[in-house]
Amino acid sequence: MEILNPRSALLSNFEVLELLRQFESEHLTRTKTAIRIKKEEEAAGVPSLENPATTQTSENFRTIQIEAIQYLSADYLPTSSQTADGITHLVKDLAQYDLTKGEKLQIVNLAPTQPVELYAIVEEIEDRFPDETEVICNRVVESLSAPTLTGSPMIVPHSSAANSSLNLGSSLRYPEDEDADVVDEMMFDDTGEGAGIEGDLDREDD
Amino acid sequence: MFNLSILKTLSNDKDTVAVHPSSFGLPPEEAIIAELNKKYANRVLHDVGLCVTVFDLSEVGEGKVRYGDGHLWYKTVFRLIIFRPFTSEVIVGRVKTSDEQSIRVSVGFFDDIYIPSIYLPQPSCFDPDKRSHFWLPDSQLSDPQELMDTPTDGRLYIAQGAPIRLRVEADEFFDDEPGPPKAQNGIAVKTEAKRAPYSIIASIGEQGLGSISWWAPLEEEGDS
Repeated sequence: MEILNPRSALLSNFEVLELLRQFESEHLTRTKTAIRIKKEEEAAGVPSLENPATTQTSENFRTIQIEAIQYLSADYLPTSSQTADGITHLVKDLAQYDLTKGEKLQIVNLAPTQPVELYAIVEEIEDRFPDETEVICNRVVESLSAPTLTGSPMIVPHSSAANSSLNLGSSLRYPEDEDADVVDEMMFDDTGEGAGIEGDLDREDD
Repeated sequence: MFNLSILKTLSNDKDTVAVHPSSFGLPPEEAIIAELNKKYANRVLHDVGLCVTVFDLSEVGEGKVRYGDGHLWYKTVFRLIIFRPFTSEVIVGRVKTSDEQSIRVSVGFFDDIYIPSIYLPQPSCFDPDKRSHFWLPDSQLSDPQELMDTPTDGRLYIAQGAPIRLRVEADEFFDDEPGPPKAQNGIAVKTEAKRAPYSIIASIGEQGLGSISWWAPLEEEGDS
């Protein structure tokens, strides 16, 4: 390939996470549909061919997608308490200060709520903004909603082990439990070569 | 830490996106994105960074059928989400492993981030018993021997698995060719360990960097 522009725009962690989540749910809907069609075909006695209308999601893509979602929704990053509106508001608030693009991006990504965290991000902050460090921190705090606990990396059932499973309620945004089932089913279907055996098991489920 | 890169397929045949006839039932852009993801996702592009996923397609040419196969071949310009934190960016990761020379940090999908021991807050020392580095804040000592004799209470350990805030100092790309297999007296010689195609050098020797618990508000400091 030819690289036209290696860095055309910067993306915040929150944007990347939202996008990956969107791909994830699209992937799951597709898988569900594929499984449903397969079941219908089997029920109708049509010899189960490989369904032509499914995209084969590559292994690499799934790996990095799941790992990146896990990282970006980790409890030590602020993404779980961020909202699109909050970030827009924060960026508008920060416009009055003479911050560079990169510094603003880092403030959005890391959401420093204490001056000491801001010190690391903004160069020579004492000279540039002698009195405003507290103000900036307060603005960041304002932009964060209370942790909604939606940001849990629960796409695969075993992933919750490492991260804090204590305070992850069941108030999750999309129905992960269902999805997890689908992933399991799909994996089962992949391994089972004999269509007859699969059909029997499916009938039991119904 | 993420940015968008614009890429274009070359005019040679190898680089054009081929869509298999079994995907003709899909909307073409979906099939093309799937093909591009197959090729680029989780791959390091030299001097660009680690590709996460296709962001969108900016231009797609006419799908062409060539003599000899049933694929539709598309030329396209597309945007990729790339992981490449810029120099001096502060990011957060988890400590993966530590050894005497460096600390290795992972961000889950990428784990070739190294903090060499010279970039640790000073004075610091590697504790072989705990297999981790520690920092002695407000200490004038510099000799490793003296540091190891200090009481453990005052040491701030950088424990494995701890979330850590770090500053990117530099990044390196290596594009090592595999090369022909070497043999000595008819026995295959193991080639030396491969370098990671993309690695990041980071530092934690400043105010606000290092273990997150070091700088957390007082009520949370108990668990450091």
